[in-house]
Amino acid sequence: MSARELAVVAEARWPDAGGLTDAGDPTENRTVPPVPGFVLSSFNPLVAELAERCLRRSYGAPPVPPDFGQSLAMIVVSASGDTASARHVARAVDSGSRVGPLMFFQSVPNSIAGHVAARWGLGGPVVCLCPVGDPMAEGLAQAALLIQDGDATAALVVLVEQSGVDGQRATAAAVLVDAVSPIEG
Amino acid sequence: MDAVGLFGLAAASGLGRGTEAQLAGALSGVAAFAPVERFDVGGRRVRVAATLPDAGSLADELADVIDGACRHAGLSAGQRADCPLMLAVHGPPGVRGIPDNAGVRGVPDGAADAPRAAGESWPTTADLATSLAGRVGLGSVARVYTSACVSASTAVADAAALIRTGRAERVVVAAGYLVESDQFALFDAGRALATDGAVRPFSAGRTGLLLGDAVAAVVLEPVTALRNRVPGRRARTELARLAGWGRAGDAYHAVQPHPEGHGMARAIGAALRRAGVDAGALGYVNAHGTGTPFSDAAEAAALHRALGPAARQVPISSTKATHGHTLEASGLIELVITVLAMRAGKLPVNAGFLAPDEACQLNVIVSGPRSVAGEYALSVNAAFGGANTALLVQTS
Repeated sequence: MSARELAVVAEARWPDAGGLTDAGDPTENRTVPPVPGFVLSSFNPLVAELAERCLRRSYGAPPVPPDFGQSLAMIVVSASGDTASARHVARAVDSGSRVGPLMFFQSVPNSIAGHVAARWGLGGPVVCLCPVGDPMAEGLAQAALLIQDGDATAALVVLVEQSGVDGQRATAAAVLVDAVSPIEG
Repeated sequence: MDAVGLFGLAAASGLGRGTEAQLAGALSGVAAFAPVERFDVGGRRVRVAATLPDAGSLADELADVIDGACRHAGLSAGQRADCPLMLAVHGPPGVRGIPDNAGVRGVPDGAADAPRAAGESWPTTADLATSLAGRVGLGSVARVYTSACVSASTAVADAAALIRTGRAERVVVAAGYLVESDQFALFDAGRALATDGAVRPFSAGRTGLLLGDAVAAVVLEPVTALRNRVPGRRARTELARLAGWGRAGDAYHAVQPHPEGHGMARAIGAALRRAGVDAGALGYVNAHGTGTPFSDAAEAAALHRALGPAARQVPISSTKATHGHTLEASGLIELVITVLAMRAGKLPVNAGFLAPDEACQLNVIVSGPRSVAGEYALSVNAAFGGANTALLVQTS
């Protein structure tokens, strides 16, 4: 299968355009809450928040029912990676100052993916990519590969990019996909 | 559906350069850990790692093993040009630049604090991959994995899936990690490093992991491609078959493995099912086995859950006890050593073992090397995020 054979179940974007639902409610909460245990960087809260928005639209409150969650993959795509955390650690090492233990836990993008997976009961593969080309296309291609190969039946793809420039805004997007039709191995 | 074979291997690690050094080092059971001289470890609790003394830059070392694996597989320039690269490395490298002659725009020393203009981007791991592909004559970069300690094994599984379904004719998978100051500081701060200078997987008294260098590359192809080889060209040897693979998550915690090994057991089960192989047919398990108290116990639970009674029978060792934890490269260096050991008919000893641990009731290879009985071997990996992979190789 290809990414074109995936069905988009839910989407989220940061910063979003804002707006109203048919019922007249604001479409988004315009703030991103911190994630316990993750510090200093927007990378992890953005992954968690975008994932949360997609999953809530599809499943309401956590967890995802086990029949679906067991094989729902979590894919994080980022060219920048968590630049803010990496820069913090590099500065601490260069200056000989203490590196906090929390930085160890957020030293790889897997950690926040695992946080989301644990909260929502997502038991599919956890994959983190640095995109070579279009990030969403690569994330969806990875989702399609895992679904066709049988280790996943659906996937949550989260893209996040930090600017690396103080004061500039990070961006993120997420999409929850599953197969349009049953997959033939 | 095509079977997937390994046709070229190349590696370097703290055990030395080349596949012979990997096999000899793993079979010897002599750990490669020594005081770190590559950077200042004066402020660290732990000051040892398994480094390759004459290591060049990560890009140079990766280029060397990718070229070596392609040569080993007998790939022509034309075949390289048609072949994609899948790369597993730590990301992002941008804050330190890519300090080498890789052809990637680097960032000067002290880059962590260097001011940058809006819109100016630092080199990414994808830039490194693209540059590497160009250096060694590979036609494209298919994917760059930054999935921590399952990066390389996930890349192998994905490459196999592409080949099995006919979407790739050949894939080179490469992975690398060279011990450096920032990750060393993080693992030290997280109190993950062994405090007694040794990695003791599944043993009573184990105190943690130690880091190590590794770069490795493999060439994967459909076995049917052998029939289509160019007349007159030297026949290439199928070194091993990638009979099965599996990937699954724990859905348990951001960084801790599920204590009962749920995700790892499902990854192992998927690998066995894909191959149509019973647990009783396994001749060896090269374990994730970091030497971390909680993680090793969770892995033992996963093996019992996935293999049933065979978990007490199948010989098991973790070669991390000799070459250390090589992070993003783990899945590939351990796959290479597993293939080399199975082909040699000798299984690596689980170095550093002191005494059995009630929480790890496995058939650990405590003296050896042991002779191989069976043609199937599992290589198991796990990572932060509850990510798990299993690769099943067949040699005969």
